[in-house]
Amino acid sequence: MSIIDKLKNLGGKGMDVKISAELENLMKDKGIKKEEVQEIINKAESSGNKLKSTDGELCIAKGEFENLTVYAMYSASELKDVYTHKMKILGLTGGELADADYDDESDWVCAKTGEPALERNVDMNYMGVTRPGPGIVCPNGSDFYVSPGVAKTLTTAESVLEEKRA
Amino acid sequence: METLKTVKSLCPECLEKIEGIKYVEDGKVYLKKECNIHGSFTTLISRDVEHYIQMEECFDVDRAKAREPLTDTVHGCPFDCGLCPSHKQDTCLAVVEITDRCNMKCTYCFANSSMDASLDPDMDTIRTMFETVKKCQNEPTCIQISGGEPTLRDDLPEIISMGKQVGITHIELNTNGVRIAGDQDYFDRIASAGLDAIYLGFDGVSDDVYLQRTGRKLFDVKKEVINKCEKAGIGVVLVPLVAGNYNLHEVGRIIDFAASRVPTVRGVHFQPVFYSGRSPDDMEGKVTILDLLEEIEKQTSGQLKVTNFTPSLMPHAHCGATCLTLIENDGYLPLTNISLGAAKSASDVASKTKKSIMGRWKGLEKDKEAKSSCGDLLVKSSCCEKPLSDLTVKGSCCEKPLTDVLPEKSGSKLANGWADFIEMSKNTYLTISAMAFQDVWSYEQDRIENCCIHVVTQDGRFIPFCNYNMTSCNGQFMYRTAAE
Repeated sequence: MSIIDKLKNLGGKGMDVKISAELENLMKDKGIKKEEVQEIINKAESSGNKLKSTDGELCIAKGEFENLTVYAMYSASELKDVYTHKMKILGLTGGELADADYDDESDWVCAKTGEPALERNVDMNYMGVTRPGPGIVCPNGSDFYVSPGVAKTLTTAESVLEEKRA
Repeated sequence: METLKTVKSLCPECLEKIEGIKYVEDGKVYLKKECNIHGSFTTLISRDVEHYIQMEECFDVDRAKAREPLTDTVHGCPFDCGLCPSHKQDTCLAVVEITDRCNMKCTYCFANSSMDASLDPDMDTIRTMFETVKKCQNEPTCIQISGGEPTLRDDLPEIISMGKQVGITHIELNTNGVRIAGDQDYFDRIASAGLDAIYLGFDGVSDDVYLQRTGRKLFDVKKEVINKCEKAGIGVVLVPLVAGNYNLHEVGRIIDFAASRVPTVRGVHFQPVFYSGRSPDDMEGKVTILDLLEEIEKQTSGQLKVTNFTPSLMPHAHCGATCLTLIENDGYLPLTNISLGAAKSASDVASKTKKSIMGRWKGLEKDKEAKSSCGDLLVKSSCCEKPLSDLTVKGSCCEKPLTDVLPEKSGSKLANGWADFIEMSKNTYLTISAMAFQDVWSYEQDRIENCCIHVVTQDGRFIPFCNYNMTSCNGQFMYRTAAE
């Protein structure tokens, strides 16, 4: 059974894709439904717009909603992580994909082209404030992802910005 | 001429209640009112109707009434203050004046100073005032000890201790700082009595300004107070009175100075001059909130813009404006912006203002100690409503501690502007606010009915601050003398 078929069964009888209790609670806290994650993964699998780890074990799919970007990290048998940010990624800091003066190759490959994804700064905007943050960027210069760790930083920064209006 | 609304106001001559209209002419907002006996009066309220209306649209607060009224409604607002049952807003800050005496003779002052120590309220009277606050204000209780100059009282440490014994949650001291700068022992005693914050008169960063208002060079005095507070872990709010012909030209430098003394300095609270007490009659120094904000924009080279100021969590959209900014490499990163619209309120205006006073304006060291007493308030409606310093230092229930959220890969050459942003929000932020007190010309009853800053009288009543200090244009007080 493919990952898609397995994920289609999420929440249904006979589910054999594992989701840890911890991750289920986390998704509940964030208000994210299993079906939504399934849809994100379905789309990524059919379009090929996803990141694949260099060892081929993991994938990251991304879904963009009006005020939220949702990432699903999954293996063939298990949904590993779901993480989000409210910030909008505007694009590459500096505007274009110039050569980096450091080893910018990430642990991820852009599945569609098979090229290594690059670690580059992207500008992100939330509540009127724009700042750069580390992104994982496909060499086509238009597909942007963030890691779970960076997403946590972004969520904290979002809370700080929201607090000012409380 | 376009009429905005009809308002209830006062005659500047006789303080009788009269009606007025707010209207727009040439893009400016005016208040015009007419007394049957003393004729017609027109006052400029704002130079820009668009900004005026934008502030109203951005203002959205819930309200909670005081725990219990202390007077009856007999003559109608504003003549029954105490608070009367028709008052719409609980107290956010209770001002307790412990003396009329002062060691300054300032050109501008709303207080009515004398040098007669026998008129000072005794300890029993002050205890009654504190107990009145405890009885009427919803928890937690916030007071400002004021005067006159409260540090003229040798028993101020005992007064602060008594306030804490009565159970007042937050006590701040309104002072010119002269005694504190020169008397270490006295300062140590008020600090150890439990003082939470100092509200320091601070009109400028040059002695010229102080010489003009007080005849004394005071800039070094102000700096020394901040030094002492830094050592003691007590937060300081700088409070400049602002007038056009006085210090309006250095408001940007005041903010820059404050930024250089963060985190001991937690905020700058500008008070544009209003016309009460011994203020001049000619009004030539009058500054509106917008005038002030435009000067701040100009003098900070556009880093802090007029649009970064949103209505303060105060009784009314036009009572004040506030900007919260981070300080980055000697520049500013303002967090607030009027274009983001009205904040959705989760708790009433007094609770929010108290949270702001207690959370943002007290010392960092005090923040830590205050967790047990203020924690309930600070986390009242959501764990995310903690002060910035708490949210990010401690790692609230919303988020994991900062150490957990920094980028995974060490040695990465990528800048993480958002991690820096979080780091800055721990210690390097400043609240800049401006409060527009009402004078007899600009008076609107609607603002008074919703007022949350109340002076506690010696006979145990609450008078909204602007009413308490309101005088006719002839210097006749509406409440202050009658209250004592």
